[in-house]
Amino acid sequence: MKSVRFREALRQAMIEEMERDDRVFLMGEEVGHYQGAYKVSEGMLERFGPKRVIDTPIAESGFAGIGIGAAMVGLRPIIEFMTWNFSAVAFDQILNSAAKIRQMSGGQFAVPIVFRAPNASARQVGSQHSHAMEHFYAQIPGLKCVAPATPADALGLLKTSIRDDNPVCFFESETLYSLKGEIPEGEHLVPLGVANVARQGKDCTIIAWSRMVHVALEAAEELAKKKGIDVEVLDLRSLRPLDEEAILRSVTKTHRAVIVGEGWPYGGVGAEIVDRIQLHAFDELDAPIERVQTLDVPMPYNATLEQYCIPQAPRVISAVERTLYR
Amino acid sequence: MAKILEMPKLSPTMEEGQLAAWHKKEGDTIQVDDHLADVETDKATMEFRSFDKGTLLKLLVAEGSIVKLGQPVAILGQPGEDIGDLLASVGAEGGAPKKPAAEAPKAEPAPAAPEAKAAEPARTGASEPEPHPEGRLRASPYVRKLARERDIDLREVTGSGPKGRIVARDIESLPAEKPAAARPSPTPAVAGEEPEVRPLSMMRKTIARRLTESKQTVPHFYLTIDVNAAAFAQLRERINADLAAAVPKGSDAKPDKVSLNDLLIKACAIALVRVPECNATFTADALVFHRRVDISVAVAIAEGLVTPVVRGADKKSVVAIAREVRALADRARKKQLSTEEMTNGTFSISNLGMFGIDEFAAVINPPEGAILAVGQVRDEPVVENGQVVPGKRMALTLSCDHRVVDGAVGARFLAELRALIERPMQILVA
Repeated sequence: MKSVRFREALRQAMIEEMERDDRVFLMGEEVGHYQGAYKVSEGMLERFGPKRVIDTPIAESGFAGIGIGAAMVGLRPIIEFMTWNFSAVAFDQILNSAAKIRQMSGGQFAVPIVFRAPNASARQVGSQHSHAMEHFYAQIPGLKCVAPATPADALGLLKTSIRDDNPVCFFESETLYSLKGEIPEGEHLVPLGVANVARQGKDCTIIAWSRMVHVALEAAEELAKKKGIDVEVLDLRSLRPLDEEAILRSVTKTHRAVIVGEGWPYGGVGAEIVDRIQLHAFDELDAPIERVQTLDVPMPYNATLEQYCIPQAPRVISAVERTLYR
Repeated sequence: MAKILEMPKLSPTMEEGQLAAWHKKEGDTIQVDDHLADVETDKATMEFRSFDKGTLLKLLVAEGSIVKLGQPVAILGQPGEDIGDLLASVGAEGGAPKKPAAEAPKAEPAPAAPEAKAAEPARTGASEPEPHPEGRLRASPYVRKLARERDIDLREVTGSGPKGRIVARDIESLPAEKPAAARPSPTPAVAGEEPEVRPLSMMRKTIARRLTESKQTVPHFYLTIDVNAAAFAQLRERINADLAAAVPKGSDAKPDKVSLNDLLIKACAIALVRVPECNATFTADALVFHRRVDISVAVAIAEGLVTPVVRGADKKSVVAIAREVRALADRARKKQLSTEEMTNGTFSISNLGMFGIDEFAAVINPPEGAILAVGQVRDEPVVENGQVVPGKRMALTLSCDHRVVDGAVGARFLAELRALIERPMQILVA
């Protein structure tokens, strides 16, 4: 085991896969000469050269489309957006091309592509740059959506995503890039669609992904220490395919669920999970399912208001206590 | 303007009642306070009187129906008024109300689903839950699943969640499994001779539920003594003779009479003051020792039995107790007792001596901690000073809730009681 930062784990995944398969290449704004907007691709231009680490103009729709075309004719592109917010410009390419081509071509074309970028809130980047975009993409059949919370999962999931023959949207987090964590020695692959129990517990299940797993764990520790409440934290890792079995298994054990996710409360991945639980585990529920989400407003720039809008441990704690009728 | 009459709350704990008899029929003119119907609540039959005047346009429920609080029972208005909308709003048909015959012999146990909570003091001893305004039972899906699996009647559970919702923690403390034996067999064994099927009266339901709960959740144990009852029986005759003599010659006044049971009530009250540990209730959090001696007296009536309470029995004379018991028993037989008169005792006495029973053990009347079962006074040869002589004996069996009354405590109570009965003048002067 060695300890690496989240960004280093992502870099290691890309390097390993590019060395393993010469069809894999990286393309995006500032991925080459600038060494990556968040230094994820640091050193990669030097290592693989400008044919495989390609700087693009500020034209997301263009380089997303080029990537999709390259994937259709046999390459395996990794498209880095500077943030998922900018993917809005390329939404048509992802929605109407990447997600549809396999079906519309009757299976003649596959689109083995990875779109990756930091997602959701950072620190004071304003309402236009703080979106949790996974909710838009997870709704689309034909796409896979992955959102790791730890360096080890970042490594294992990105490698699996690059090897997947379908388009994968890979959601990172600006505030997780410096997070350190242990990764296993040797090749590490994590299958898509398999959640991880980040903390065992019996009283209530918190379901989270990406950075919110850490908020959930913080809430769980505090609940254990101060209130004697034993919370299970389920890290989804993949949002689509969704590990429904793991969700139902945990809720069947605890009979209560709180979903913690960035993004607005109207609809979204959290609402989807609520629906699956009520449909398949109705008889197991002892309390209404709670959701802790970003407040239903455009993200404020003001630092205090911003933190107020983003899900924090105290809000998670209150929600857990409500499910326990405390 | 026609209006719907709803089942009123006729006792503080009532949640449903059986409409025993209509006293008015459709078309009758109704004045304020007219006696509309008799309603059998869990123990008493109450008069349902009108708050309004008008003409009774429609009866919505048949005699014998179980009606929940607030459920429409009739429509009152002006003669000839169109009540189509009202009928539609209560979902009634045009025809006469149907007899509830179809629902009488149910093979399946009643589902735990939307039924009113039983009119019972809260099991946990905590405060009463807020009643559900529409009488619907609230429980989480998980609780309903557990109730199905463990055969728990959720109507007996107090919900601690919002609006009285029953949640998992409310039933976690209940016994894990109830035996399935209580389910009636779905078909009679022999065809042809069908048994007579009597729908459960409200009282029978209450008796069944309370006694089942008692025998299944209260750990009973039994202590029996056989006392010398010669002086006791003699005292009673002496008292009655004196009471009769006290009536002036030529007067029509009936003399007071005292029964052995009246004397026993007083004797038990004195013994409970001396052994207060026997005058106790077990609750989930604490043992409760009562500072009042309120004795429930089991009274057999045609439909079953009721237990009116003689309050402060330790402070009343034997004659006062005798008068009170007679009045209570009288009203019990007429089903006029209120719920308040039948609840909140601290100790019970059940006497089957008048039916020729020598000895028996009674089921505790929760939340009381003990009940005394009294057998008849038997003429038996006894040995006195080495001689066999005619004597009188009486068997007394105390059933104790072992969670609150231990064996030694029960034995002390019986020792006090024996001392009182065998030297009974104390009962009069204590």
